[in-house]
Amino acid sequence: MREPEAMSGHSAPVMIVGAGHSGVAVAAGLRSRGWEGGILLLDAEKETPYERPPLSKELLKDGAPDESAVLRKEKFYEDKRIDRLRGITAEAIDRKGATVLLSDGSRHAYHRLVIATGSRARPLTVPGAGLAGVQSLRTRDDALELKRLLVRGARVAIIGAGYIGLEVAAAASAKACEVTVLEFQDRVMSRVTSAPVSRHFEQLHEQHGVRFVFGAAVTAIEGDGRAERVVTADGTVFHADVVLAGIGVLPNQELAADAGLECRDGILVDGDGRTSDPAIYATGDATRFTSPVDGASQRLECIQNAQAQADRVAAHITGQQAAVPEIPWFWTVQHGVRLQTAGVRHPDDDVIVRGEPARGRFSVVYLRDGRLAAVDTVAGLTDFRPARKLIAHGARIDPALAADPGIPLTDAILDDANSPGPNPADAAPATARI
Amino acid sequence: MSNNKLTVIDREGSTHHLEWEPDQTLMEALRDNDLSVLASCGGTASCATCHVFVEKEVFDTLGERSEDELELLVEAEEYRECGSRLSCQLDFSRHLNGATVILAPEE
Repeated sequence: MREPEAMSGHSAPVMIVGAGHSGVAVAAGLRSRGWEGGILLLDAEKETPYERPPLSKELLKDGAPDESAVLRKEKFYEDKRIDRLRGITAEAIDRKGATVLLSDGSRHAYHRLVIATGSRARPLTVPGAGLAGVQSLRTRDDALELKRLLVRGARVAIIGAGYIGLEVAAAASAKACEVTVLEFQDRVMSRVTSAPVSRHFEQLHEQHGVRFVFGAAVTAIEGDGRAERVVTADGTVFHADVVLAGIGVLPNQELAADAGLECRDGILVDGDGRTSDPAIYATGDATRFTSPVDGASQRLECIQNAQAQADRVAAHITGQQAAVPEIPWFWTVQHGVRLQTAGVRHPDDDVIVRGEPARGRFSVVYLRDGRLAAVDTVAGLTDFRPARKLIAHGARIDPALAADPGIPLTDAILDDANSPGPNPADAAPATARI
Repeated sequence: MSNNKLTVIDREGSTHHLEWEPDQTLMEALRDNDLSVLASCGGTASCATCHVFVEKEVFDTLGERSEDELELLVEAEEYRECGSRLSCQLDFSRHLNGATVILAPEE
């Protein structure tokens, strides 16, 4: 614990730019860690800060309420004395003066600044991308607009077979839309999972009437005032009433970059969320950092990371110890089938399938140098929790045992006594009972 | 509808008395009262970081656990067949009024 004055800063508050998962978690974390000074939370949107995962899932369903679940109730912000400015963005940081210029022209001083600006949908850049009916999905307004357009019989062209594209494909097919997914790679979710999982979800979508076109490079969107056709490089024309681009996200790093903070496809932060300016932190989707697991430079677009970084920032500002972060994990739900992933897979990991994909429920285990690096669970969570622990411990796994779904993953651990881990200091726990 | 009163025992063994507002899940009530509940899935029975124990008499009055909830709970080191719940799956309920809830260890 620091001295009391260190828990209240000076007259200026901790200013948090962005009220997504990470920004709100920083505010909440500061209070639960005893921060007594001011907290000012800037929200580009006007509603109560909300959960994003349902926007591409529950919210799109027929009959679902238009309100997305809120992150925290309105009363929480009052009770915790978290001041909010809504519909306001930060325009520029004056690092010398420790102030931020806001979009309403006002200027506010900060004691510490936390940039939690998140990410935005990567825009389509082909001709016609600006036509009406070409959508992306990031905010609640995006989701509500999409929901309005997904009517029975609508022809929906989805560009990109990642999480967002496929979740929308599932929602659209459930609403009896005619859905075509155009993907440049040769399988769905190729960035995040292996071929067996891709194939499984492709079949699932096809059973629901979704059509896939792989190797498709979109070159133009055409139409008279509205999107009517999507054209690909081989000249094929796809008729569409709605076009959704789900081609990834870009980190909202401009505020930081313009202020001279180091950025490289993401705001560079250290393990405590500090940028190259000691009074300025960044957290969540907008950041790039070195993985404590394998030393890789990474951006992680997930709630787990948004929360873990927020906790580290709140801990650092209050001079406390942060919690040990969870292994990164991710989930998607398509046609009611959940794919949940722990760890970050590499394309050259060894791939071991546990169970029969044809039965609808299986896991895929990823080994790197013999150690459990990641797991995908499909339609079942039995392996998820043990795997998360084994990944954290860098456990060495017997591939033959791991391939048998009747054997718990924890019983597939190899004796590790003579084999140094990626980090020798971490080798011991791998053999411990976990 | 008035609020439920709850007693919560945290992982250090300290007792907290709190009120649970009717439009919240138990996880949300715990979290908004600064109890250490990570809830990294936002309440969708995906992460098991909001695991709590409830007394058997109370447990028996609650609904069945979903398949996802159960699969996550049985893998917990201290799983209790008649006591473990994910607090994000528990809506406000008069059966929990006055109950004592214990936060399960973090793993």
